[in-house]
Amino acid sequence: MNPSEIKKLLISSLESDADPIEVSNRLEEEGVTYNFSKSFSDRVIDRVFSTGLIVTHEVEYVKNLSFAFYRIALTGIAAIVLLLISIFLMEGSITFNSLLGLSNSHDESIVCLLTGN
Amino acid sequence: MIKESYNLTDETELVKASLAGDKRAFGQIVTRYQKMVARTVKGMLGDSVFTEDVGQEVFIKLYSSLSEFRGEAKLSTYIQRIAVNLTLNEIKRRKRFFSMFSQKGNNEMHEFEVADQNTEERREASELVNKALQAMDPKFRIIVTMRMLQGYSTKETAEILDLPLGTVLSRLSRAQEQLKNILVKL
Repeated sequence: MNPSEIKKLLISSLESDADPIEVSNRLEEEGVTYNFSKSFSDRVIDRVFSTGLIVTHEVEYVKNLSFAFYRIALTGIAAIVLLLISIFLMEGSITFNSLLGLSNSHDESIVCLLTGN
Repeated sequence: MIKESYNLTDETELVKASLAGDKRAFGQIVTRYQKMVARTVKGMLGDSVFTEDVGQEVFIKLYSSLSEFRGEAKLSTYIQRIAVNLTLNEIKRRKRFFSMFSQKGNNEMHEFEVADQNTEERREASELVNKALQAMDPKFRIIVTMRMLQGYSTKETAEILDLPLGTVLSRLSRAQEQLKNILVKL
């Protein structure tokens, strides 16, 4: 089967009335086969029935942790950006005082605030 | 507990024996379904040597969740679902990894492709199908893999992917359009 015939077969395989079993069989006949190596089964058994399973769980845990970290970090960055934008819109600038909410306050009023007099 | 000589054909028996720690029973499950898993994993991720690790993860995950298998669905459907989930997770992980370090990383993976076909024509056919599949959107690729490589009907595909039949049909039609466009360029 030449490449153009294979292309036709691939496209026609997705027709709703095509027989998927026939298509997969034909593709297999044409050399479109997938398999793992000969020792695959032995290696799986070794990993399942040995300490390797614990290692896998640990790797999975690390993967999940790093994924969670990215999610939290991105959310945190988004919150900080929103906060900075809102400060800029309200105060007109982003200075240390505006971040602390002191940009419009006078020294006296802070003393009043702190002493209560 | 290892039985000396037997040939368990019933899936429920195989599962029970595996849960009891019978290595050979679980080995029989692996042998029986490894080609099916290979088609899903390699069809989705490309025929690279790294896919073998994902294949192993599928059976490890199967073993650790075997006690949850109630026998309501076929064991093959249960394994297929695990394979699909782990493969989609791997695609997401690769996307995240390569978007962080390299834009062309995904292509680099194919430098390790293993050619196990004998004739040039068979190799070309396999390469053509792999290239077309890898160029597809993952959500269409999984539909095409299930149908074209596994030979599942639309209903079976919907059941495995846990999607409504209508969604599978619409994705099938959109997958066909995408595949046509890809094959023109190949």
